[in-house]
Amino acid sequence: MSVASGLPAAPAGREGATPGLGEVILGPGAVTPGLGPYRLAWRRLRGNRVALAFGLLFLAIALVSVLAPLYAHQIAKTGPDENHITETIKVGGRTLEVVSPGGIPIGPTWRSRFFLGADQNGRDIAVRLLYGGRNSLFIGAVATTITMVLAILVGLLSGYSRGPVDGVLSRAMDVLWAYPAVLLGVALGVVFALGGIDLGLFHLQGSSLLVPAVIVGVVYVPYVAKALRGQVLGLREREFVDAARAQGLGHVRIMLGEILPNLASTIVVLVPLMLANSILREASLSVRGAGVQPPSPSWGTMIAEGIRFIPAAIHTTLVPGIMLMLAVLGINVFGDGLRDALDPRARVRVGRSPVSAEIET
Amino acid sequence: MTVSQGSAPDFLDPGLGYTTQAANADWISYTGLLTYAHEAGTAGSKLIPGVATDLGKISPNGRVYVFTLRKGLVYSNGEPVHARDFAHTIERSIKLNWGGKSFFTGNIEGAEAFDKGQAHTISGITTNELTGQIVIKLLSPFGAFPNVLAFPSAALLPSNTPMTNLSNNPPPGVGPYMITNVVPNQSYSVVRNPKWSQDNIPGIPAGHVDIAVKINPNTQSEAERVLNNTADIFDWADTIPPSLLPQIESHASDRFAKESTVSNFFFFLNTQTKPFNSELARQAVVTGLDQRALSRLNSGFLAPGCFFLPPGMPGHPRGACPYGDPNAAPNIAKAKELVQRSGMAGTPVTVWSETRAPKREYATYYTNLLNQIGFKATQKVIADAQYFATIGNLSTNAQTGYANWSQDFPNPSDFYLLLDANSIQPQNNGNFSQVKDPHIQNELAVLNAVPTTKLASVVSRWEALDEYVARKAYVAVFGYGQQPKFFSDRIDFGAAVFHPVYGNDWTTIQLK
Repeated sequence: MSVASGLPAAPAGREGATPGLGEVILGPGAVTPGLGPYRLAWRRLRGNRVALAFGLLFLAIALVSVLAPLYAHQIAKTGPDENHITETIKVGGRTLEVVSPGGIPIGPTWRSRFFLGADQNGRDIAVRLLYGGRNSLFIGAVATTITMVLAILVGLLSGYSRGPVDGVLSRAMDVLWAYPAVLLGVALGVVFALGGIDLGLFHLQGSSLLVPAVIVGVVYVPYVAKALRGQVLGLREREFVDAARAQGLGHVRIMLGEILPNLASTIVVLVPLMLANSILREASLSVRGAGVQPPSPSWGTMIAEGIRFIPAAIHTTLVPGIMLMLAVLGINVFGDGLRDALDPRARVRVGRSPVSAEIET
Repeated sequence: MTVSQGSAPDFLDPGLGYTTQAANADWISYTGLLTYAHEAGTAGSKLIPGVATDLGKISPNGRVYVFTLRKGLVYSNGEPVHARDFAHTIERSIKLNWGGKSFFTGNIEGAEAFDKGQAHTISGITTNELTGQIVIKLLSPFGAFPNVLAFPSAALLPSNTPMTNLSNNPPPGVGPYMITNVVPNQSYSVVRNPKWSQDNIPGIPAGHVDIAVKINPNTQSEAERVLNNTADIFDWADTIPPSLLPQIESHASDRFAKESTVSNFFFFLNTQTKPFNSELARQAVVTGLDQRALSRLNSGFLAPGCFFLPPGMPGHPRGACPYGDPNAAPNIAKAKELVQRSGMAGTPVTVWSETRAPKREYATYYTNLLNQIGFKATQKVIADAQYFATIGNLSTNAQTGYANWSQDFPNPSDFYLLLDANSIQPQNNGNFSQVKDPHIQNELAVLNAVPTTKLASVVSRWEALDEYVARKAYVAVFGYGQQPKFFSDRIDFGAAVFHPVYGNDWTTIQLK
């Protein structure tokens, strides 16, 4: 079975000459000659209204999160970390305490201040939700970047080189894979939250958002690297790679110029799925106190802080929980649509606990 | 009768137990030479003779204590009690590395040499089987030593008790109860001692009911079970979840009360490093603290106050707070001005705290306050298990953060360990503010030597010292602890004593 056979051809002309890869089957018997694979994928994606709608939902969440400072300063008139525990607010002619003497925070006021209610420290949940979104999405994006870059490097080197290099890299990935992702994340998160990460020139403070981003990013590398390695093992035996070797191209050029473009569609499919997983993993680390450090908000930390107020102030967990669900749902459904568009026959699955990524054709 | 405890006792072996959960069961199952009156409020802080005939005789130099054992005492297994058992008990607690063993090794002559293996017995303890006399020699006068003798870890055990952890099968003791049926981290029983009628020590009630203790780490379900009468006693050391509090206050007001404990909550202010080496900067913090806010973060279970010694502790000042009424809104403008005058505006500050609620929330509020009044504060939250070891390590040089103290015994010396320059040490340092004040040292040199039994004679001096500490703002006290007394409908709520040292006194629990 050829791993790459179900994937669309890369736009480069070299693979376009490969028999069969220039033609993309749309449906039984239908052939559209001369249409590029990515244009074809875009056409398929446009036809998938559900995926587009969820993609737009995710974009909308990202956009409002980016605009958090605008909402905080112009509408809510408070920052994400500002405590208002003993203050009062007028709602419908009634004066209400932001946090009651018994410690229960106010619920949604549906007004500019405390629109979605307050948390136990009297902080505006709507403001923190948006700032938390920025943090969660930032960590998700950075973690995904780290995962993909490292996984591509490992996958390429491992699959292309085979032999001892593959042996060492694969065993290293196995070790990382064998450790439960949550436990590993929590262990690293707790350690680094205290002392930060110090690698000589590269130093991160314990409270830096990059700490959970690096942890989540590294923890997921094996799950993607193994999938890519499997593909590279197949691709390196293909005729176009033999042709490149015959032309005297070096290993690095073959890996980057011949094999990597053929991984592109897989990578494109994996990115949104890994983004969703990274956002979820950040939340799960933060719930356990090993992710985003207080007082910085993230959807995970907000859920963790609100748990002890269930059911008296359920908005403290419900609001960030719904936001997290919508964001992950949005990117996941869009990612599925993207996968279907890029290769209707491929099945790329990225599970969550434990995460597993595999590509079958 | 079922008690629901949120945390399992650290050890049920009295030679090792050091947590409130352990003490609850141990102090009624193991009686020392001295013990506490089974009374609520300050009356419960009074020492009474336990297995000793009286409070003991103290030599004029305060270094020698002489006790006589009551006659005819037996352990819960029927064995007679001997004077030599006391020496064995203290040696056993030391060998087992009891958490408070420094109270013995730091005070009793020869105890440190025994701990280090340089001696087979403690030279400072001598006993006479014929007369039942027990003589204890101290290295130097220590006024709170009678309180040390009231720890369950100093309660007599038979001399043949092995020097191993017996938490799963606790040894016999002298007391109205005995601990049985231990299932580690799940349950244990505290049942009435059938031999107690032979001992019948005055002032120690015999107990009314047997008690089954279930460990339930989920405080939500722990509170719900008591509310629904499927459990009888909520562990007083646990926190009632804020979400259930309104329901409990409205539906179970006749069986719920907030009880004051002799404990304080404060932010330490490291006096040896910027910015809190400046007295003005420290005053700014105390001036800006909103104790009403901090109380709400603890579901209202904090009594406001500014003095280091809490109410209920001899020496707690009765005067006004030097930097504003703790029940009123703080003067933030004044706090900002003080920061400016101190020249510390913009100084980076790291606020340390534990993870567990509401400690993290305290620190979040405090970090926000420091930023509000002119510092540049960030928050550092670390796992509960590592917290005090981390901030107690001098190399961490923690600037400020959360701390609290609950009395080990009702003597102000216990609290002032935290402000004593002599207690500063490289690791496990308890003087988090690193206070080195000659005036405090001079006063402690005198006050620490006054025996607990004569504490009343120096109360005004303790008050003056505590007022001085508040003026110097060495710590930013933000309240005194309150804990829930919460029972099921079956229990006679009024008859149950909430003890100032040990919380719910199980010997006073009875059915309606």
